[in-house]
Amino acid sequence: MIESILGLVRQNKTISVLVFGFLTFFSVTYVLASATSNFTQTINAGTLSVDIVDASYVTVGSPSVAMSAVTFSFACQAATGTFGTASQVIYVKNPDAADNGWTVALAASDPTDVWDSAGTDFDFNDSTGSGCTDGADADSLGGQMTVDPSVGTLAVGQCASCVTTNVTKGSSAPFVQATTDSITILTGAAGSNDIGDWKLTGVSISQTIPAEQAVASDYDINLTLSVTAS
Amino acid sequence: MLNYRSKSTPVQNVTISILRFVFFVSTLVFLVLPGQAKAIEYGGFGGRPANPRSDNPRTESIFIYTLEPGEEKLDAVTVINNTPERKTLLVYAADSTPSTGGAFACKQFSEDKQSVGAWITVSKSEVTLDSGTNETVPFTIRVPQSAGVGEHNGCILIQEKKVKNENQSGVSLSVRTGLRVAITIPGDIVRKLELAGFTLSDKPEGYLLHPQVRNIGNVSIDADVQVVTKSVLGFTVMEHGGEFPILKGEVSDWNFELPKPFWGGWYRSSFAVEYDENPEASVGIQSGKNLTLLKGDTIWFFSFPTIKGLILELLILVLAAYLYRNYRKFKKHKYAVKNDWIDYRVKSGDTINSLADQFNISWKSLARANKVKAPYALEVGIVIKVPPAE
Repeated sequence: MIESILGLVRQNKTISVLVFGFLTFFSVTYVLASATSNFTQTINAGTLSVDIVDASYVTVGSPSVAMSAVTFSFACQAATGTFGTASQVIYVKNPDAADNGWTVALAASDPTDVWDSAGTDFDFNDSTGSGCTDGADADSLGGQMTVDPSVGTLAVGQCASCVTTNVTKGSSAPFVQATTDSITILTGAAGSNDIGDWKLTGVSISQTIPAEQAVASDYDINLTLSVTAS
Repeated sequence: MLNYRSKSTPVQNVTISILRFVFFVSTLVFLVLPGQAKAIEYGGFGGRPANPRSDNPRTESIFIYTLEPGEEKLDAVTVINNTPERKTLLVYAADSTPSTGGAFACKQFSEDKQSVGAWITVSKSEVTLDSGTNETVPFTIRVPQSAGVGEHNGCILIQEKKVKNENQSGVSLSVRTGLRVAITIPGDIVRKLELAGFTLSDKPEGYLLHPQVRNIGNVSIDADVQVVTKSVLGFTVMEHGGEFPILKGEVSDWNFELPKPFWGGWYRSSFAVEYDENPEASVGIQSGKNLTLLKGDTIWFFSFPTIKGLILELLILVLAAYLYRNYRKFKKHKYAVKNDWIDYRVKSGDTINSLADQFNISWKSLARANKVKAPYALEVGIVIKVPPAE
């Protein structure tokens, strides 16, 4: 009987393949079914975090926001930029670390900071003259930056079962020294859907540039993106 | 067996090739599947309270203390590096600052510390952690004698130590994670909220619901904010909200996005806030007594349907009109049969078709009016209804 089956297997390639597959499948099943070991697993504590990542969720080494180039003008003008792009995504992750809500906020690394260049600088948080002239703050520079997260696109990150229901985008607001030093980008509420990861793109940034601002290509400013468990 | 192998036929060679292929695919599947389970996931860096209290689950996320003026408290923060790289992280305390919308935020490393940030002394200013490791960093809180009754907030922050890229223009970004430090000085605690407004504005693809709540007490309050939008028929279209901390002296507001309702029509959005007003409550702890419910205004608004909704509504309208027309026709016909049609005794040779032709009516209408079923045979002598002769 066995000899005849073996003979059939030897002569028929289809049966050979089926037998091989059968043996492979059930040998694996046998190994799994026979295991009686005690499995141990440690899941380390996660942490609430915010970062700028690329499309593959890899941290961007030197994240930046490029503002649109403007031409020297005798009138006050505005440059625009987008915070959060396809290659530099604002990414928030709450792996059960902040159970009662969190806030992502954008602020200058120093509220007395300015758009710095080798030549003449300009301000980012002076509201005087609609952000076009110098006002009451300590520096003698005009200029104001407005951040509008409400126009951004919020989406769930890597978590397949998560939702954006408990996350809200902040309102458009300009920086005003000593009054509005921090602008809310996202707020996460406490609730049943507060664990997850989210990505935000398309936050609008607008910067007024005072009239006759010197031509330069090296203006830069340092901003800090914070996520805070509250 | 050896003899068999040495004399393998072309068919057997093909079999061996297929077996090799199956083995290759099986091995590949076996190797690939565990690989998927180990897919790299973003980690991040940050921290958590090292000594959460069992009586307040909220202390797993933030630092909460009730301290007397002059009192000292030792605690620690666990600094975590779950990134794939070794990192040097700054650990520092800072004052809190309200962010726009009344949200909680922390002042910067560069800013002077005047409140809770100045009360905290962190034992280490920076830690260097390998990937997937953590370190507990102790800190001390010394509450000044002059600290007033109520809640004082600060932060402990973890920020990557970075060297500025001098060649980079535009906005250079740093990221950090903060943990709120809420210190309550006991005394005459006032927990009170009031509604500060509720507006609705248009957006390109819907509406923005914007509730506002003001904290007029001397401690922060965790409030359950709810905005419910219902159709004119009372069906709930969408519920927004959640539990948010509302900081003392601040107005908190939120932007809840309501997509354009599919069907259109009249809708109403209601705003309500529920919170624990009792002074026994504190951050993360409810008093167990009745909660206070504040009900805000209800906003009525009309929304045009979406394009798909409009098309569907038109189709439904056309279908309804068609059905109504047919119903009216049927009722009219039924009325005519009952009141206008006359009796006719079936004679030999009459068929449903011959009678239909005779009375100028379709055979189906005649059969339906007299409930004659297939095969539509008429028994001689029975009385049926037929239209009156014109």
